[in-house]
Amino acid sequence: MASKVRYTESEIIVAHAAKEIKDGDIVVIGQGIPMAAGVLAKATHAPNCVILTEAGLVDIRPFRNPLHIADPTCTRGYTYSCDMIDVFATIVNRGLVDVTFLGVGQIDRYGNMNSTVFGDYDDFRMRMMGAGGAPEFFGYARKAVLTMRGGRFVEKVDYVSSPGYLCGHGARERAGFPPGSGPKVVYSPRGAFRFDEESGEIYLHGVFPGHTVEEIKKEVPWDLKVADEVLELPPPTREEVELIREFAPEISAGRRLQLELSIPRILEIISGKGA
Amino acid sequence: MLEKYMEKDKRMTAKEAVKRFISDGDSLVIANCLYSTPYALLHEIIRQGKKGLTVFQQGGIDELDQLILGGCVKTLVMAYNFRVAGERIQTVLERALRRGEIEIEDYSNYTLLTMLQAGAMGYPFLPVMSGIRETDLYRVERAFRGQKFGEVTCPFTGEKVVVVRGRNPDVAVLHVQRADRFGNAQLWGAMINSKWACLASHRVIVSCEQVVDEETILRSPHLTVVPGFRVCAVVEEPWGAHPSELLGFYDYDMVFRSLFFMQTMSEEGARAWMEEWVYGVTDRREYLQHYAERFGLRFLQELRARPYTSIPADYGATGRGAWDEEGVSFSFRTTREEFLRALEEKGGFVDGLEG
Repeated sequence: MASKVRYTESEIIVAHAAKEIKDGDIVVIGQGIPMAAGVLAKATHAPNCVILTEAGLVDIRPFRNPLHIADPTCTRGYTYSCDMIDVFATIVNRGLVDVTFLGVGQIDRYGNMNSTVFGDYDDFRMRMMGAGGAPEFFGYARKAVLTMRGGRFVEKVDYVSSPGYLCGHGARERAGFPPGSGPKVVYSPRGAFRFDEESGEIYLHGVFPGHTVEEIKKEVPWDLKVADEVLELPPPTREEVELIREFAPEISAGRRLQLELSIPRILEIISGKGA
Repeated sequence: MLEKYMEKDKRMTAKEAVKRFISDGDSLVIANCLYSTPYALLHEIIRQGKKGLTVFQQGGIDELDQLILGGCVKTLVMAYNFRVAGERIQTVLERALRRGEIEIEDYSNYTLLTMLQAGAMGYPFLPVMSGIRETDLYRVERAFRGQKFGEVTCPFTGEKVVVVRGRNPDVAVLHVQRADRFGNAQLWGAMINSKWACLASHRVIVSCEQVVDEETILRSPHLTVVPGFRVCAVVEEPWGAHPSELLGFYDYDMVFRSLFFMQTMSEEGARAWMEEWVYGVTDRREYLQHYAERFGLRFLQELRARPYTSIPADYGATGRGAWDEEGVSFSFRTTREEFLRALEEKGGFVDGLEG
């Protein structure tokens, strides 16, 4: 009855994140794991979801995993060409986005996110890519789904790029964000975290096969709250894994292997063998 | 006061356009990024050693790093800049920041572009979503200290509303599929910031894959992203957005970009890249020649787009003029003679002297 399925860390995140999309949802997505999740959802249980990117591309149907949110895999057949102001001012800010997906750099216990700078703002350890569209996506989408590969939990983010539940206990709504909006779930390679509806504090909701509550608690620098009954989350199905590999083999591979596998081609070109 | 540019033929080389229309200390907006990035124009800016620029950049991949390496940038107003390297590697941007060569002001995509939208409309400011107040984008100010965000009271509801200042960069650089010699520029695909960046700016330099005749533009005005009277220069520059992509022409060149990122992990590598691909060539034609010699033409050919054409929009109408083939007015059902007679009898002619 039960048959074996082999999958990578990214694949299980993609498979679970995809389930956060319901059929008919309007979904704002960025490159990487989020896009793979969106496409998987559209190919399986949510064929009528509308995927858009802040580049001004609405209702895209990418045929492979895009390198960035405006690349030619996003623009082969889409139903509404507009621009970045249109996407934010008439769709995101108006509250029409059901789900937004974002990757995590740094996140604190109330879901506030940093994608700008590690360390002191001026005497930084590292500059990340920057806020991009995240502050408004995070602020005004009905729900935000976070995926975490290489990101970290910190007691206090070094810089607030995107607002989560602020200092918790209703602070987000008091600050004027739409009621019910905010980060709802974080998927890491080890499990899923959700946010307490009252306090806005993150807690461990479920673990992926092969991982334990203790192991996850060690990665969090405060005493992480844990659900009364932590779920044992299922692995991706064989169908899901195959769809992901078909559409986004780079995502299946993860960053390191992707780099390793692409080096031969880069070397071939650099050496001038194509002449 | 915004200038209009009414010369019938604005075609010139990238060299001439950059020389005439960009000065040290200007503010510059890169009109369109990620997709159809105007690399040919940006490389010419670097070659001419323009200095002290304030650059408005929505989302960069490697073009900002190149401008920084060229010593062109003083202030960077930015929402996003791609990075490949992990924490152990210093990026070009980080090295320049640490040395104090550049100053940065961080915005979100929306708040940054709204400054240009306000500028394009001639407004002193525009509201943004007030939630930005809860972020450090709002609290931490550097280059635009005291001018980064503001707050007004809505006269209708009394609510406090966060606003950004309207900004009008001196010059926008844009690369498009086609333009006519007057500068009507047509772009399709991801439009990102192109329209607002151009319309906010005092001068717009357009490079294009092809200069087309006016008829092409007249038959497809929905594709025009910036009208010719706002454009000061038209530069025909095939592959002008390489290594970014342009629908109908070419895909992104991932391998070429990987080469850039690998080389720029060290300061010396970065200098060598600039020497080879920017300073070592005189223009885009030489750049392409060098590419072909270095890697072989095959790899450039592999990037060529295959057609996925739009269904033409039919702009047809009856085409009826004021007078039909028989010289009868459609509105009045009169001939020209009958019309003149009516003017004479009932129209109240005034006698004037010509010339």
